[in-house]
Amino acid sequence: MTEAPSARGREPSWLDGAELWVPELQAEPYDIRAIDPSPCTQACPAGINVKSYVSLIAESRFAEALEVVRESCPLPGICGRICHHPCEPACKRSEIDEPVAIRALKRFVADLELELPLPEPPPPPDKKDRVAIIGSGPAGLTAAYDLRLAGYPVTVHEAAPEPGGMLRYGIADYRLPVEVLDREIAVLARAGIEIQTDHRIGSGTELESLLDGCSAALFAVGAQRGRRLGLEGEDECCEVEDALSFLRRVNSGDHEPVTGRVLVIGGGSTAIEAARAALRLGAESVEIVYRRARAEMPADEEEKEIAEEEGIGLRLLSAPARLVIRDGGLEGLECLRVALGEPDASGRRRPNPIPGSEFVLAADRIFAAIGQEAVLDFLPEDVAARVAERGLIRVDPTTTMTALHGVFAAGDVVSGPSTVIDAIAAGHRAAAAMRHFLEDGRPLIEADSKGLAEAVEYEVPAAPPALAGRRRPVHSGIVSGREFDEVELAFTPEAAVAEAQRCMRCGPCSECLICAASCGRRHITLRSAGVEPGRQSERFAALLRAPARVAGSLDSRSGRAVARLLPAHDVEPGAGLEVELAPNRISIEEDYCRGCSRCIEVCAFEAIHLVDPKAAETAVRVEPALCRGCNLCVAVCPTDAAVPTTVAPGWWGTRLEDLYPPLLAFSSESPLVVFACQRRVESVRQALDRDRLEPPLAHLVPVRCAGQLDAGALLELYRHGAGGFVVAGCLSGSCRYGFGPQLAAEQLLRMRKLLAALGADPDCVAGDWAGEGDTDPFDLRVLGIAPDSSTAVRRPGRPGQGDQESCAS
Amino acid sequence: MRELANLRKETHAALCLACGKCSTMCPLSPSGWFSAARMVAIRDPESEIVREDGGQAHSLDACLTCGSCEVRCPEGVHFVDFVRGVRALAPAGQRRSCPHGEMLQSAARVMAGKKAPQRDFAWLENGQENDLEIAEEGEVALFVGCLPFYDILFGRELGLETVEIARAAIRILNHVGIRPVLLSEERCCGHDLLWNGEQEAFEALAGANAAAFEARGVRHIVTTCAECCRTWRLDYPEAAPDYQPKIQHMSEFMAEKIEAGEIQWRGEALGTMTFQDPCRLGRHLGVTDAPRRVLASFGDGTGESRLVEMGKVGVDAQCCGTSGFIHCDANSKRLQSERLRSAAATGADTLVTACPKCLIHFRCAQSEDRRRHRETPDLGVMDLTVLAAAALDRPAPLATETTTHLEGDAL
Repeated sequence: MTEAPSARGREPSWLDGAELWVPELQAEPYDIRAIDPSPCTQACPAGINVKSYVSLIAESRFAEALEVVRESCPLPGICGRICHHPCEPACKRSEIDEPVAIRALKRFVADLELELPLPEPPPPPDKKDRVAIIGSGPAGLTAAYDLRLAGYPVTVHEAAPEPGGMLRYGIADYRLPVEVLDREIAVLARAGIEIQTDHRIGSGTELESLLDGCSAALFAVGAQRGRRLGLEGEDECCEVEDALSFLRRVNSGDHEPVTGRVLVIGGGSTAIEAARAALRLGAESVEIVYRRARAEMPADEEEKEIAEEEGIGLRLLSAPARLVIRDGGLEGLECLRVALGEPDASGRRRPNPIPGSEFVLAADRIFAAIGQEAVLDFLPEDVAARVAERGLIRVDPTTTMTALHGVFAAGDVVSGPSTVIDAIAAGHRAAAAMRHFLEDGRPLIEADSKGLAEAVEYEVPAAPPALAGRRRPVHSGIVSGREFDEVELAFTPEAAVAEAQRCMRCGPCSECLICAASCGRRHITLRSAGVEPGRQSERFAALLRAPARVAGSLDSRSGRAVARLLPAHDVEPGAGLEVELAPNRISIEEDYCRGCSRCIEVCAFEAIHLVDPKAAETAVRVEPALCRGCNLCVAVCPTDAAVPTTVAPGWWGTRLEDLYPPLLAFSSESPLVVFACQRRVESVRQALDRDRLEPPLAHLVPVRCAGQLDAGALLELYRHGAGGFVVAGCLSGSCRYGFGPQLAAEQLLRMRKLLAALGADPDCVAGDWAGEGDTDPFDLRVLGIAPDSSTAVRRPGRPGQGDQESCAS
Repeated sequence: MRELANLRKETHAALCLACGKCSTMCPLSPSGWFSAARMVAIRDPESEIVREDGGQAHSLDACLTCGSCEVRCPEGVHFVDFVRGVRALAPAGQRRSCPHGEMLQSAARVMAGKKAPQRDFAWLENGQENDLEIAEEGEVALFVGCLPFYDILFGRELGLETVEIARAAIRILNHVGIRPVLLSEERCCGHDLLWNGEQEAFEALAGANAAAFEARGVRHIVTTCAECCRTWRLDYPEAAPDYQPKIQHMSEFMAEKIEAGEIQWRGEALGTMTFQDPCRLGRHLGVTDAPRRVLASFGDGTGESRLVEMGKVGVDAQCCGTSGFIHCDANSKRLQSERLRSAAATGADTLVTACPKCLIHFRCAQSEDRRRHRETPDLGVMDLTVLAAAALDRPAPLATETTTHLEGDAL
């Protein structure tokens, strides 16, 4: 790893005199991250940028949406089906009608990929440190994927015959078809992750040699064993079984019928899984027995609803007390009624069995789904004693490292049974920590810009996108003979777009980073946060005299951009400066657009087109991905319908009201105003410095492109006392925006004519053009607007003194 | 906001009952803008002054001040004066820039400075022998207005030379034996600044123009622009009360002279014509008859020049979509397209205007549509004065000894 420039040992003077504007010329890669992520994104444990992909779906940009999902979630199709979607309760739309169906949208884009060939693998590992991961569930696979993309050779060891862990053996096909699972794992395998199945790590030497053979290891073995009920006779009675074992059998393809009346004990996802599986395998009736109320069931609401729709009974407020066994055969379950007391540590109300309220539920099979624990038999006893605690593995929460140096753990084996998205989040965290461990010997979860992501309350807009209520993919129910076919149907593209359009896009920036992809070499490149400090632009860093990160947001609606510069090292937290970035796109106010098409004619990037080319009165539309933000269209727009890109202080943004403020308050007599396009601004600045021409004698106004100039604005400056104008731009043919030189020349000619018509000297206006790669010839002397000494500008053709005063005064 | 309260009283805006009659006339109503002037009058005007984004807040700028609303108002509210007054109260920078980079407004502001412009009259020549006669001093003056500036801005793009209107006016004046005074120190009349709320600059322009014309002994000013005419006739007496010359629009002048028998036409067939009443001429000044009398006289005796009327004429005429170059938007385009279609529907070959701004706006709409190969009525748009000058029955009388060429040459 290259050494990052360090700010250590320096005075915190990096802010002194820094030009905090990042003009296009200095555009280099740097981080940008929204200060205020939207509520859905904040709610996602894995940090999937929800708003971004929903927004992209709303614009029918499905492939890009999937890319966004994949950035934070290697298993999009799986999450799109079985995630418990904490994003949806967070969705502000629910305050108006119902939340956006975020999960179904994710599934929709993930499904599109199923038909495509596998993506190209990333380049082969460039790092030597091998990483071993034990367990191929969502936590293990996520960590493996992150580390593989970071360049590490990764091997995943899986005891079962197929990879996937609980995804494969805990979740049935009607929720998560095995093809989806296989496909998504195939994508990971294609990326170069080696997955060794049927490879159970035996205790003792085998673990030892495995750990010896790698530089870091991750235990992600999950919580594979169902807890026992702890009722008398349980172990002897073969009709009483833990739900997980049952599911593992079913999901391995053993569809042996289940007969009679089935009770499932527990209120979580596993209970519902087992109940639904039993129903599909022919159970006469299935009832879930749970000791608290419906609201307290850990399974998510949709699962409960679907279970109920499928005809599964909920026997609530009932605590199992005794198995009723006659002649070694199960007859029923005796339960006690429960009264709910005060909330306990978990926040749920404590179930208090009511003495004497016994009742018996008839049962032919009982599945217990009351909790899971890790199977840690691969750990030698002495190791287990160091790392295990209450059937789970203990880690340092800030580093995810176990007591064994270089050995990390993540997922259910750490947290106890949890959700797939939590496992993915845990996998990300562990992978980040392992990278730190491998790269600088210190396991550390980078705080990156978390400090900025303060929880923000968003107000529900007064006028939300007025669309019909949430669309639900239709539930296809159980079809006889096809019991294990997927139940939930996918959105059609039209329905997905319509649903995504319900999103209110809370927060300023969607962080979709499409801008980065579309702005290319010439513009600021944006990167997601978390890159190593010091990887930013050298020029940018030099400017600040210390490496810095930029955190900020681009508001796609207003075009405003705000970012914060953060020192990369060792400066007190929060010591940032706000800077403005240029969103490189213009926008069109349709009310003002009369469809004259001038903008279309001057756009070299074909970013503007007529909404309806045939109609007489029609507006134009901007394709933001193509717009380079040159503002030439703004200059030619007769009605101000084209709104310029945000301009930085000191740069001129085409509109009259943006006139560089110092120019409207000249303190000297008839100063020279020099407009220089971004390519020439530096050499012009040097030339002016050489001649010691600085305010108040001369003002340099940087513009993105000389073609932005407008005779009206020049005239306004003239009125405010400007004595001469020089425009330094590119030669025709070397303008990066195409028509800049022609437009600039036209405006200069217009200005000369105006001055003449007003009886002033048209020669106080001059243009100076240079080709690309020329030695910049800028010299005022050559232009005839030269200073006659090093201290004064010849005043070219300026009307007499006192001109600003009104003639009536 | 005391001034606002006074303004409401003075313009009778306070009497607005929101009856909605004006909305039936407002050319912006079909786009959902409602009667823009009334919006300003009845809604809290302070919220209009401190411009809010979006919504109808921009009705302050969007109002065409065409005066259609006043024609129907049963309460006699002077909506356009009210709108103008509110614009004057709006803080600087709170309103949107005028179209075309505010170039015309900027030029007018420069002219409002102390130093008088030094206009040149190179345009008199038109690349051929100059037979036009102008004077340095005299009774009758031609107020040229912004025509040379329009040509700088629009000439190339629209293939338009609006100074031809001034040449035509001089030709007609010469024809009846008048050598009009043209002032090199003539400033903009100030119409656009006045209606953009820039009262102070307007007063400077009015004062300077009044003084300059008075100094040349001018007692009678002819203009070819409806906006200049309105400004001189209605607004200058307030700003410069000491100098009150006779103000005539060229159409009025011509009608008078035709009826006095001083102007005759060659009788060439001019085809079928229809007439666009400029808002300033028709509604603001009530001059709807004079241009029609001129147009009707073309056909005298031959029948091959004919005036046909569109549906909405006179005080009911539809605005050309922009006034004073203050605001232009999708509505402007719609109004222009509509008006062009109405004109074409009369069967006319030529749409005649009596204001260079109407001319520019219609030509602009046509040019836009042609550039994008969209359908646009195949219709000539001509200025009345230009049409008349070309129809004169004999060249202007020569009187070379008084011909004056003021300084300046072509750029």
